[in-house]
Amino acid sequence: MSGITKRFPGVIALRGVSLTLNKGEVLALMGENGAGKSTLMKILGGAQPQDEGTIQMDGKPVVIGGVREAKRLGIALIHQELMLAPNLDITANIFLGTEPVGIMAPIPRAAMHEKARALLARVGLERAPTTAVSELTAGQMQMVEIAKALSMNARIIIMDEPTSSLTAGESEHLFEIIRKLRAEGIGIVYISHRMEEVMTLSDRITVLRDGGYVGDVLRAEATHDKIVQMMVGRDLSGAYFPERTGTRGGEPVLEVSNLIVPGTGAGVTFNALKGEILGFAGLVGAGRTELMQTIFGVTPALGGTMLLDGKPFAPRTTRDAIERGVLLAPEDRKRHGLVLPMNIAENTSLPNVESYARFGWLDRVMEKRVAEAEMKRMRTKAFGITQKVVNLSGGNQQKVVLGKWLAMNPRVLILDEPTRGIDVGAKAEIYRHMAQLAAEGITVVMVSSDMEEILGMSDRVVVMHEKRLRGILPREGLTQQKIATLMTGGKGEVAA
Amino acid sequence: MRREGGMSAALFLMCLVLYISNPDFLGGSNSVNTLRQISMLGIFAIGIGFVIITGGIDLSIGSIIGLTGVLIAKISSPGLGGHSLWVGIPVALAVALTIGAVQGLLITRLKLQPFIVTLGGMLAIRGVSQTISEGGTLSLSGSPLLEFANGGYLKVGANALIPYPLVVFFGVIAVATYVLHFTVYGRYVYAIGGNRDAAEYSGINVARVEASTYLVSAGTAGVAGVCYASYIGQMSQQVGIAYELYAIAAAVLGGCSLRGGEGTVLGMVIGAGVMRVIDNGINMFQYHYVDVDKVPRIWRLDQNWTFIIIGGVILVAVILDQSVHLVQQKRRIKAAGALAEAKLAAPEASHVTTTGAAPPPNP
Repeated sequence: MSGITKRFPGVIALRGVSLTLNKGEVLALMGENGAGKSTLMKILGGAQPQDEGTIQMDGKPVVIGGVREAKRLGIALIHQELMLAPNLDITANIFLGTEPVGIMAPIPRAAMHEKARALLARVGLERAPTTAVSELTAGQMQMVEIAKALSMNARIIIMDEPTSSLTAGESEHLFEIIRKLRAEGIGIVYISHRMEEVMTLSDRITVLRDGGYVGDVLRAEATHDKIVQMMVGRDLSGAYFPERTGTRGGEPVLEVSNLIVPGTGAGVTFNALKGEILGFAGLVGAGRTELMQTIFGVTPALGGTMLLDGKPFAPRTTRDAIERGVLLAPEDRKRHGLVLPMNIAENTSLPNVESYARFGWLDRVMEKRVAEAEMKRMRTKAFGITQKVVNLSGGNQQKVVLGKWLAMNPRVLILDEPTRGIDVGAKAEIYRHMAQLAAEGITVVMVSSDMEEILGMSDRVVVMHEKRLRGILPREGLTQQKIATLMTGGKGEVAA
Repeated sequence: MRREGGMSAALFLMCLVLYISNPDFLGGSNSVNTLRQISMLGIFAIGIGFVIITGGIDLSIGSIIGLTGVLIAKISSPGLGGHSLWVGIPVALAVALTIGAVQGLLITRLKLQPFIVTLGGMLAIRGVSQTISEGGTLSLSGSPLLEFANGGYLKVGANALIPYPLVVFFGVIAVATYVLHFTVYGRYVYAIGGNRDAAEYSGINVARVEASTYLVSAGTAGVAGVCYASYIGQMSQQVGIAYELYAIAAAVLGGCSLRGGEGTVLGMVIGAGVMRVIDNGINMFQYHYVDVDKVPRIWRLDQNWTFIIIGGVILVAVILDQSVHLVQQKRRIKAAGALAEAKLAAPEASHVTTTGAAPPPNP
């Protein structure tokens, strides 16, 4: 691809970007959110046309007019949100749109199941092809997507953040498959925010910034800092995690003892102190999100007790928790954190909209004042409080979520994966806000699968594994090794 | 198939109770009439099923049924247009299909919401019927069409055991089963309802398939309209009012989800059966008892309760279905917790087992 330009109303998404992919190569495509990675890949996958620029395959210029044409050329795009029909079986999904017969002809089921079985063997998925996709885990769905790509003899497979919803084991399996495909001569474009993955998996790294091409680096010559610098255009190392000041960890605010979360067996016991950042480490599926949902009253506990400021705390609904100042910024912002078609002001006032009302009449002036104050405090980038949050970047959406809770003076603020899918620059800002909140005496509970984040931000770290609390580690002497041992089920020291 | 199984059992039970309370339920004229009613509802319930499976809705079919009859009467009734039925019926069906095509194109090309487009269609088409019939009634008396609904095969006395609408119904069932459950097209219909984006990115022409379902829906409504015209004989703008709601109810009772992606032809047939048997049962049900003065009496359901009973049945059906679903879900969550516990209890075993498999108990 060379000189690709794409304009959207009001913005230029891509400015003369070039990209080369060799046969049997894993090319990592990196850049902050909004850098143009997804747009570039949508053009290659035929989902959008480019305004300028050319694409060549095997030295011959090609025009990719649509998804079907891209497929015929052997280009398969695997989206971040998996594109499968949950109500159909594996075979139906693999061959969806490429059935070997006409539209009114009967489907040759037996033959297709047979072919699907062979493809599933290639990607190492041990499920019957007649299994409904709704019964698969996220990792297994990813394998079906890859099998689908292979079914049309793809020569180029584009993967957009493929590991964002996978467990560590599933990611490992995915990497094996990617290496196998590379050995078969398939070119792979791998979009990811996770530096570790990129460093172990890719052969070459292409970096985009603000819709422009920054450069190519061979993996052997790449370093973490160098890539980050290319992505953000400035040196971030050092200033990444903020200096923490003030007393950390006063008296206990939230005391959880022997709490039984639905779907798990053993009780969980821990304290969260005033003004501390309590990290929750663990693999995806370790039960951290479920625990937080119980504390927030989404799924009431089956047993155990909680004390908030020494008084009993047993939320049956989220309303109970919110009224006591226990607030949750969920993992999936778009589904649970925000009402996307509403604007910033409306989202900010949503959790306690009654308090903005006089005899049921919504005080828009007050709503506006609060929303503007929070927007200023969070330094949210938007043209104003009337901008719809659906049009904001991931980082700015997260700032709106935080602003909405901060407007309610929280006692305990639970952040589930606060920086998932957020670019490097915005991450640093979120971290600064978290440190600021803790310094103000708010108890911050942070669930994170990002080891750097856990190490960089936490005052103490709670480690969970297989729905159980495995240990609580103090900041002094905290190492990645210690956490990793506990969160993979190993034995380690257990501190109070 | 959970819903289909449950509804079949309910339908069978209902018929049994009705037969015991009043053996006339299965008597010649009543059973044939009920079959005819089921057939006529089933024909367009299957049609709207296509739309519902893609996640859409079609509110216009009741009005299309009415318009079809009005057009046939206007063109072919001996006292009015006087043309052959071979003119009247094809014209009426062509109009029905055109309406379906226009609505389908508005929904898919202009990306208008199906509810709004077909709501507009419902009202506008009803108005067209009213205008053609000049607010009155168009009689089909003297037309050979009247023999269609009442005639049939296997005549026993005055009743044909297999009325022609039932034959049409079987035809629709056969074609719909093939198209929906065996062809690539049917697969696309389910894929669009299951995940529209996935269908789009799989290279399926979503707009065309989706638009075609509105054609199917309007087409079957046209066919049902011919049957109703023949059955009723007097066409006015009142014919077909609220029929779309009966069809939606039949589809939902039979296991369709209004979110799309779910439902079977068998289920829609059973759903239509349930709707019509309830309707008929309210007339037929009787309870013999002897009052305090030793006088034998018969207790019957009040006709005025019809809508209460039908509405109640629909609500009870979906409540039961959802309860079973929730209980199953809870059990799965509990099982998952127990599995995690078992894994921890036998850590050595958990390393060798793959995902989803429970570790073997320790001897």
